[in-house]
Amino acid sequence: MTAIRPRPQLWFLLPAAALYGAFFILPTLASYWLALFDWSGLGPIGDFIGLDNFKRVFEDAEFRSAALHNVWIFLALAVMTNTVSLFLAILLDRKSWLRGPYRAIIFLPYILSPVVTGFIFEILLSPNIGVVNPGLEAVGLGSLTHEWLADPSTALWAIVIALAWQWNALATVIFMAGLQNVPPEMKEAAVTDGATTWRVFRHVTMPYLAPAFTVVNVLLAIFAFRAFDLVYVIGGAIGAPNGATLVMGTVIYGNAFGKGSYVDTTRMSYAMAQGIVLFLFLGIVAAILLVYLARRERRVY
Amino acid sequence: MACLIVIAPIYFLVLGSFKTVEEFFAAPFGLPEHFGLDNYRRAWTEASISTTIKNSAIVTFCAVLISTAVSCLASYSIARLPLRGSLFWRLLFVGGLIVPVQLIMVAIFIIMRWIGLLGTLGSLILVYSTFGIPLGVLVLVGFFQALPKELTEAAKLDGATDFQTFMRIVLPLSLAPILTVVILNGVWMWNDFFIPLVLSTRPNVETLPLGILNFFGVYSTEWGLIFASVVLSALPVVALYLLMTRRFIAGMTAGSVKG
Repeated sequence: MTAIRPRPQLWFLLPAAALYGAFFILPTLASYWLALFDWSGLGPIGDFIGLDNFKRVFEDAEFRSAALHNVWIFLALAVMTNTVSLFLAILLDRKSWLRGPYRAIIFLPYILSPVVTGFIFEILLSPNIGVVNPGLEAVGLGSLTHEWLADPSTALWAIVIALAWQWNALATVIFMAGLQNVPPEMKEAAVTDGATTWRVFRHVTMPYLAPAFTVVNVLLAIFAFRAFDLVYVIGGAIGAPNGATLVMGTVIYGNAFGKGSYVDTTRMSYAMAQGIVLFLFLGIVAAILLVYLARRERRVY
Repeated sequence: MACLIVIAPIYFLVLGSFKTVEEFFAAPFGLPEHFGLDNYRRAWTEASISTTIKNSAIVTFCAVLISTAVSCLASYSIARLPLRGSLFWRLLFVGGLIVPVQLIMVAIFIIMRWIGLLGTLGSLILVYSTFGIPLGVLVLVGFFQALPKELTEAAKLDGATDFQTFMRIVLPLSLAPILTVVILNGVWMWNDFFIPLVLSTRPNVETLPLGILNFFGVYSTEWGLIFASVVLSALPVVALYLLMTRRFIAGMTAGSVKG
């Protein structure tokens, strides 16, 4: 044995605490502090301007429209999750030898990187080599062909579809895990008592699924409001076309590191203020959802 | 039907990786004339996949190793050793899960520039190792608390130090939750591209997702080549996934349900 160490509990904690302090706590606190200055991120730190950056965030039309896009993404995915993903989970809950392989396939998109997913959808919808337009022509709907990603009115929805493709994977699997908690005796008892399929679902299955609903919807809020990678791959920091695909994450990135144009200016302090607003926003949405869903859980149990 | 929607895009991706540029225009749904590995060979060299895949492997391997190791030690201290304020430490670490990376990365960029690590693989390893801790602590503290006390107390009576007890008794029993942490963090680190987008300011330290994105911008009409590099980037994770589907799904849902 080497030296006898006093207080091993602190030695055990030290490496994690040191890393976490240096690269998590310190930068978090620094962001709150630097957000109070007028600083581009280059050269000496500028003037102290108090909460002016935060005031500007709320007046910023670009940030507001981006936040609205996040809200649309959240709502669209919420509708899909609580219908399509749930339905899929119920279909896959039946005992069959195909259950395992199906589940493996359904979950696959979730382990692909957002770069891969974004790229796949960009290609599928591409006017040059995509398959969506030729597909529409082939079934006689040639009039519906479209430059999906170049048209501001459809570009955001293309992104929603790509996000949905990936998100559905996790949502379905969580619902499937929730369905495992429904005791089969309960269902059998209800069926014996002459309940219809719908009534069994509504009054037996749904109550047991309440915790899964909570988890899925809170995770979805985090997924939708923090969205960055996939959106950046398709729309870039400028939210091509014409800001139609900007979300809060990409706006913050654009302000902090530039949007990739030739006359780039960075506004790091302002970006940090936006990041803090995003953090608060997400905190509020998640808290509302948690309180609402937890109450619902108690009611249905 | 739903499986078809999941599979179709992947099918077109893989098919496309074998096609030549002319074949894309001639027959969007058609099969390529022959399944040669030309695109893959070119992707390996021209799209510098050989460099970026090595960077991704180094970063993911080191960061998973460091972050799992430090999370294990810290979690054990929080769960089983007489640590004062253990609840505070637990909340402090786990709370990291809800901070948006977009916020924290701006400050990390400034810190890395300040200490001169910007544009090095080291900066990526440090940041990923740190960002892996919240999830590691979340999963492992719960597991360590559930271990029977008699196990560690018996070892202590035999005169083992806390570290020996931890290494010889606790770790061998904890392989399943550790594997969960490794999978969750490993897949995330391999796939993530926001952190390298900010920190990899030099081309020779780009990771796979970032390298592909940049390549995509430069060679935007060499479709087959891009398809091939995208397939190559996803291959390692997908292969592991197919080998251990059950573990992946169990781990990833457990991690997210708790998170």
